[in-house]
Amino acid sequence: MFTTPRLIAIALCAALNFSIGSIVFLLKLPIYLDSIGLILCALLLAPDRKTGLVCAWLSGALSTTLSFLILNPFILWFEMTDVAIVLVSVLLTARFHQTFRARPLPTGRFAAAVIICGIVTGIVSAIVSAPVVAYLFGGVTGSGSAFVVAFFLKIGRQLLEAALLSGLTAEPIDKTLQVLLAALLYRATPADFIAMLHAPDAAPRKAA
Amino acid sequence: MTPNGAALFALIVVIGAVAASSLAGLAILAGLLAAMAAFEVRERAHRALLRAVMVVLPLAAFMALVWVGIVGRSAAEIAAGTPGTRQAAALYVGFICLRLLLVVLAIQLVVLRFDRLTPLQFVCALRLPIMAKRLLVLTLSLIETLRHAIDRARTALVAAGLVTRRPSLRNVTTGWVLVQTVWLTAVTIVVGRMRDKWPAEQTLALLDDTLDAGEPLPLSTDDRIWLPVALSATLVVLGAG
Repeated sequence: MFTTPRLIAIALCAALNFSIGSIVFLLKLPIYLDSIGLILCALLLAPDRKTGLVCAWLSGALSTTLSFLILNPFILWFEMTDVAIVLVSVLLTARFHQTFRARPLPTGRFAAAVIICGIVTGIVSAIVSAPVVAYLFGGVTGSGSAFVVAFFLKIGRQLLEAALLSGLTAEPIDKTLQVLLAALLYRATPADFIAMLHAPDAAPRKAA
Repeated sequence: MTPNGAALFALIVVIGAVAASSLAGLAILAGLLAAMAAFEVRERAHRALLRAVMVVLPLAAFMALVWVGIVGRSAAEIAAGTPGTRQAAALYVGFICLRLLLVVLAIQLVVLRFDRLTPLQFVCALRLPIMAKRLLVLTLSLIETLRHAIDRARTALVAAGLVTRRPSLRNVTTGWVLVQTVWLTAVTIVVGRMRDKWPAEQTLALLDDTLDAGEPLPLSTDDRIWLPVALSATLVVLGAG
């Protein structure tokens, strides 16, 4: 399962998650953009679900650990959200891998796939994250979405309700953006790199 | 301490800090970290504290703005449905920040304890499956590759007039091109390495030999003291509720 190209893909996707996620965290935007690499990893390994599941989860875990060690002491407790996003990416988003790479671009189908996958991923991650935000941190996290939680608390909502509503407000937009960026990067990835990822042997192949 | 012992120590302290729900619990963990700093990290301990403060301070300012400035109530007051006070909100934010400070400090102390080791030596010393070690080393090596990819892509796009060196509206609209270019540059570099450079230099075989050379160090006498102490402290914190 862990051929050298796949290990490289995991590391690259983890680095992508970490770099974009860190910038967004420091800017305190009410979105996250820290799972693009994870979604991309699932797309790169589609349609192999088992490999996609393991590799995408590893890329998410690696970037979460890096962020936790360097920048964001909150993020480790959202590992279950990563698992949920991986599951949706492998079981749903990766089904559209041919649409995302089709040439010429089927604009309508591409947009529909991005929106559906983004919204489903967003709802699932909001539901999984809400109890962590509410019960572990009492609604206090360092990301920009805290402003949205604060807004719902200010208008009289309870803590879990505010965390969930904040997630359901921000996450579908955030995840649709993430699926779009991952799909565009997947579309731009060279075909020979994707072929290397699907080759069963660890030995790198020579270009034809 | 060995790298394995230090990693376990940090993990236990992090679990304790997250589970702590009283100031007394956090004080116990702070005492444990102070002792670890004094015996294991010594004169470099203040650097660990400084780094931890630098990570937590911006978070504290942000949380104070949101929770004291905007919400004006603590989590307990919200749960109880009482009006609440800004003082209670400030105390609550302070407690959360202290917890985060201990988490970050534990990690920084471990980092500084082994700052004389190279990342490769540290990874080699860990008791992990060879595939996990390989993944860690490849990731660390790719960070440098990505830095080069960012430099190259940025220089090329600045030269082409697509992005500017300073913050600008154009960067907001064309920033995506930079992300795409960095990704393509990085993929192209690693494909080249996997096809030509690594097989010719037998890089992966040499790396595996290095990672697999000898058994990782067993837990040292120091580890056998620190780990039970950390575990006992965490159990006391958990018991204190």
